[in-house]
Amino acid sequence: MFGRLVEVFDRRFGFREDFKRNVLDHPVPPRINLTYCFGGITFLLYMLLAATGITMLFFYVPSVDHAFVTVEYITFDLPLGNPIRAIHHWSAQLMIVFVSLHMLRVFVYGAYKNPREFNWVTGVFLFGITLAFGFTGYLLPWDQKAYWATKVGVLMPKSLPAVGPFLSQLLMGGDDLGALTLSRFFAIHVAVLPIFTVIFLAGHF
Amino acid sequence: MEQDGKRVTRRKFLETGIGVITGAIAIGLGGTALTSIGAPAITNKREGKWVEAGSASEIADGQFHKVGIVYDAKDGWLEGKVKQLVYVKLNGEEVFALSATCTHLGCNVNFDEQTGNFKCPCHSGVYDATGKNVSGPPPRSLAKLEAKIEDGKLMINTAVKEA
Ligand code: FES
Repeated sequence: MFGRLVEVFDRRFGFREDFKRNVLDHPVPPRINLTYCFGGITFLLYMLLAATGITMLFFYVPSVDHAFVTVEYITFDLPLGNPIRAIHHWSAQLMIVFVSLHMLRVFVYGAYKNPREFNWVTGVFLFGITLAFGFTGYLLPWDQKAYWATKVGVLMPKSLPAVGPFLSQLLMGGDDLGALTLSRFFAIHVAVLPIFTVIFLAGHF
Repeated sequence: MEQDGKRVTRRKFLETGIGVITGAIAIGLGGTALTSIGAPAITNKREGKWVEAGSASEIADGQFHKVGIVYDAKDGWLEGKVKQLVYVKLNGEEVFALSATCTHLGCNVNFDEQTGNFKCPCHSGVYDATGKNVSGPPPRSLAKLEAKIEDGKLMINTAVKEA
């Protein structure tokens, strides 16, 4: 039944052949080693983050009076909520680690060179996006650690000449780290960054 | 390797392996996610509990009396107070209790002493003294609640006994 369905779509789109050629039978250099896995691990972590993130989106409320209670609810009341939040937390930490290792590996091996310049350029953007994910996601639980760590982060651009103070206000959505900061960090974390990730990933593969 | 008389190539073995591992991750993660998302359907229950609604002597005359109850209710991460109006009447030992919430759009109905009926001020729905809807827009009878007298106190259960 399911096989028949796949058959019908495959005849029209031929994705099985594409998948075989581009993924399973993709030619690789003769002497590869485990460090070639860092990029794939990063991608796997991203998928884990997307799945657990979407799940938490069913429960999390991005407002100053509800963010913390909803995170508490996810962690302590929701069945399987704690493992989901834990996977999100640890995948996020590991993604920073693996994306850095991946970048380092590509750099050391000189794998960014022609004809792979664009993999490098899109990769640098993806690295920035990953860090932005980390920065914006850190604020969302709205606990003491989140608040004060983000406070430090948003005040950093202030030391830039001329545009500094404005940049910092732009990040906070005003003079204070508060309600508007939380909503804009949330919007960036769950809508803006995922879209840009998909766009740059398409160019990266 | 032989299997069903066919040779299993290393390539085929690896392909199947990748498929199995990918499938396991997808099922594990998807299952966990769907369990969490679906769970509140079962766990986020409105639980009935007994709340005090005044002293028994106030309803001793065997007539309908309007009493207000206030109780704590939990909805997911929200904890709040729910206020509800209830009509109670002493029938010998038993206490008969009806929720005053109109089954049409939720206004509070009033007891009309002359006719012995409940009238809704919003769209003139009428219920008889047993709570049955007799005329107007209400689609169902008023909800019956469990009530009892304990140590001279009137107690009402917040769970609907009979909708
Ligand atoms: S709400 Fe009672 S009749 Fe409409």
